[in-house]
Amino acid sequence: MKNNVFPFSAIVGQDALRRALSLCAVNPAVGGVVVRGEKGTAKSTAVRALAKLLPRIPVYEDCPYGCNPDIPEERCPVCQARVQEAKVRFKRRPVVTLPLNATEDRVAGGLDFDLAVKNGVRVLQPGLLAKSHRGILYVDEVNLLDDHIVDLVLSAAGAGENRVEREGLSVCHASRFMLVGTMNPEEGELRPQFLDRFGLCVEIGSEQDVETRARIMRRREAFDLDKDAFHERFAKAEAQTADSIQAASALLPRVKMKDSLRDLIANLCAEKYVAGHRAELVIEQAARAHAALGGRTEVTEGDIEAVAPMALLHRTRDAAPPPPPPEPEEQEEQQQEPPEHDPPENEEEDQELPPEQEETQEQEDAGPPPPPEQEEAPPEEEMQPPEQEEERESSSMDKIFEVGQSFKVKRIQAPKDRVFRRGSGRRSRTRVAQKQGRYVKSRPRKHSDDIALDATLRNAAPFQAGRKAEGDSNLAVILKKEDLQERIREKRIGNFLLFVVDASGSMGAKGRMVASKGAIMSLLLDAYQKRDKVAMVSFRKDEALVNLPPTSSVELAAKLLAELPVGGKTPLAAGLVKCAEMVRNALVRDPSMRPIVLFITDGKANVGLNGGKPVPEAMELAERLSLDERVHYVVVDTESRGLVRFGLAGRLAENLGARYFQVEDLRAEQLVDITRNEDW
Amino acid sequence: MKRKTVFPFAAIVGQDMMKLALILNVINPTLSGVLIRGEKGTGKSTAVRALADILPEIDVISDCPFELSPEDEQEAYEECMTALTGEAPKSGDLDSYKRKVRVVELPVGATEDRVVGTLDLEHALRKGTKRVEPGLLAAAHRGILYVDEVNLLDDHIVDVLLDSAAMGVNTIEREGVSFSHPAKFTLVGTMNPEEGELRPQLLDRFGLCVHVTGVEDMESRVLIMKRRVAFDENPADFTAQFDRESANIAQSITKAREVYPKVKVPESMYAEIAKYCLEVGVDGHRADIIMLKTAKTLAAYDAREEVASKDIETASQLVLPHRVRRVPLQDVVTDISAARGRK
Repeated sequence: MKNNVFPFSAIVGQDALRRALSLCAVNPAVGGVVVRGEKGTAKSTAVRALAKLLPRIPVYEDCPYGCNPDIPEERCPVCQARVQEAKVRFKRRPVVTLPLNATEDRVAGGLDFDLAVKNGVRVLQPGLLAKSHRGILYVDEVNLLDDHIVDLVLSAAGAGENRVEREGLSVCHASRFMLVGTMNPEEGELRPQFLDRFGLCVEIGSEQDVETRARIMRRREAFDLDKDAFHERFAKAEAQTADSIQAASALLPRVKMKDSLRDLIANLCAEKYVAGHRAELVIEQAARAHAALGGRTEVTEGDIEAVAPMALLHRTRDAAPPPPPPEPEEQEEQQQEPPEHDPPENEEEDQELPPEQEETQEQEDAGPPPPPEQEEAPPEEEMQPPEQEEERESSSMDKIFEVGQSFKVKRIQAPKDRVFRRGSGRRSRTRVAQKQGRYVKSRPRKHSDDIALDATLRNAAPFQAGRKAEGDSNLAVILKKEDLQERIREKRIGNFLLFVVDASGSMGAKGRMVASKGAIMSLLLDAYQKRDKVAMVSFRKDEALVNLPPTSSVELAAKLLAELPVGGKTPLAAGLVKCAEMVRNALVRDPSMRPIVLFITDGKANVGLNGGKPVPEAMELAERLSLDERVHYVVVDTESRGLVRFGLAGRLAENLGARYFQVEDLRAEQLVDITRNEDW
Repeated sequence: MKRKTVFPFAAIVGQDMMKLALILNVINPTLSGVLIRGEKGTGKSTAVRALADILPEIDVISDCPFELSPEDEQEAYEECMTALTGEAPKSGDLDSYKRKVRVVELPVGATEDRVVGTLDLEHALRKGTKRVEPGLLAAAHRGILYVDEVNLLDDHIVDVLLDSAAMGVNTIEREGVSFSHPAKFTLVGTMNPEEGELRPQLLDRFGLCVHVTGVEDMESRVLIMKRRVAFDENPADFTAQFDRESANIAQSITKAREVYPKVKVPESMYAEIAKYCLEVGVDGHRADIIMLKTAKTLAAYDAREEVASKDIETASQLVLPHRVRRVPLQDVVTDISAARGRK
């Protein structure tokens, strides 16, 4: 299998990536790299190729923990127990792959089953954290790694040692590794704390030059056709790279840095509002590695300038995450365009609807200005006439508005609890009752028949010698009932998002619908990443309609949203009733579900059920809806900000016990802040 | 185990692009699979299952649960078997046998431990030692891994597939087992886009992508009905009718496999492909590489030893539609030339 890996020196372009990896190879104190980039840009290829170029380090021949013979105080249990000094040999720093489906016992280490059965002793079988000591712990698609594994890795990385307290074992061993991860930001971001553990961060894109692309194709094709020949072709280049890395790592201890340069580093970090001091340390170490690679024993300003961007990229705090790439590529630019770029759309809106807009403006100015915080409802007569006039104007014709600019939405999720659920998705983490989902850990069996075989066996293993003496079974392992362990599985489930959209004529004014559609679209995009189920109800004229029954096809919802017509009166009560129906049905189907209902409305109800008074009716209904604690409500108020406000959506939110914000707040970062600070 | 008779590949009416994409993948497994998108009842699953008919034979080491090849994978065999049994296998000549390339089906409800492999419980209880029980990824090595309704696959299973599809190695670090073995498979998936889209990352792992729609032409529809009824009434007879045609396809596949290494690519074609990809706007370089390989495979299937422009044209139809950079929720492009014109 050794020639299956694409040689490092045959990679075309991606200089930043290769430099970052070389720096890590030379100086482990750099602390690893996270490679962010679109798919198909040699991220994983480069990391895997690096394995063959790492410098050699001395290890004890029989030590499974990779102890450093030069640091006796850090010896692992095996080395401590050793009577005679063992042979030391040199091997390359290890690259250990942490697959996404790893279980806790393999990451941290668990009871050695074979030894336990044979000898009845409890010995730790070293996990990946032991294997990667003094080497690289590599995670492909690191952003998809489960949180509980991330926690293990974080605590080991922080302490420099791995403490195992499980299955009757109590072991502690040194575990200092470089974290190397690759990720595609499309699939989600990393936790900030985890991100900070990576010393460097490189953002890569694809080559845009035809000639270079052609070269990439040629190399890859040659590699796939005849791997051995390809390796031969690059053998010399590989050997050179490996030599230069080995030489640099030998030179590294002699590389010195002047104190004045430390000021430079501190300034660089201060400029970028970097949190903590890891950035300074990383820059210093990376600069030393950079100098060593250049064959120099003195760090220069140039070294620092070369490495600083990589250390600061993911730690800079002036912008919202994701960190802006040094040379932004097209796609990134588009995504990062803040929604202030809306004006063109609004202009279009102006052209389309000038009469209506002016009209609304006048009416609102003319109307008696009730203070927005007012608790009492403004008398119905006062607020309805202008509305109705407006309605008359617009209800004659249905309009379809385009979808406004969409943006990134931050996490909206239900809190993790101990309820077991079924389902699939990515929004909320939950324990699952089905035999599905990722096997997280085990516990003594209570009622589940989902037996954790490995844990059960490990549990029973140490007692085998005794049990065999009693019984006459011909099995090698005798299990008793009390050995049984059950699996605890966990997975993310998607939530059920119900959009209740006010599609009445009043929403058409002042480009409100465009902004609202933009907001809904953003929430849909978010739902798509989280694999939520979505449904959409719209209300206008005299009734509420189910535009989209609950479905996982967010695409369908997006399409329907684009085509949603607007016009007519505002039967808010009907919308509430329909919403209650949908939620009830969903809850009957899955009682453990926690639906999130999003109302997008200005709250100006003017059609009641069976001729009742619209506003009080709607408010009363809202109050009743709020009684069900399983349902979370969000009200997005689309009423324009201004001196004159009816504030009805605010009251609706109050009655629903809902999170409330105005459509202006929905724009980008504000929404991010609102949802982030909120405990759902 | 008796094999059920499957509807013969040669008897499928129409759906030429789908059949072509499947055949190309059989000729050249490094094309890394095909995604078949389309409405229900358009012969998607039938075609994949029918592949069994025309698949070539490969050498496999006997008694090896990892389906390794006796020529290139001796080393891996030794490693795997050592890990499996705890002792190195006998050196010297390995027994091997010939069998057809296999289609392994990954059911949507599969659990992770069955997919990647897990601890062999029986062995542990009887012998008191740990052993790996290979999963579906091991069985699919050098074969075809087929996922029906791939868009409904659980997320964590998709993650596993992404991992091993990329590197051709399956790494198990779970339930006390630490093990890795080669797992190079051709990923074939079918899906109905109405049920939801695939994650972009997984989408990109499929080398080719075809859209299938129901056949519009009256005569063909009648033919489809006739053939289906004939097959349902008497599968054996029906299959026999198509034996010759199936043999022909199988033969041209074998031939194409021989020609493939000899196919030359004129210098200008590389630039042509790169330009195509840049114009359409794709992420990364996988599109370029797959397009080059597809064009070469097309030439080989046509028994030519040089890639022509028409190969590139056809390749672009197969390789680019699902790779055109798009905002999530935007529809997957169906007509690639239109996309090219637009940019």
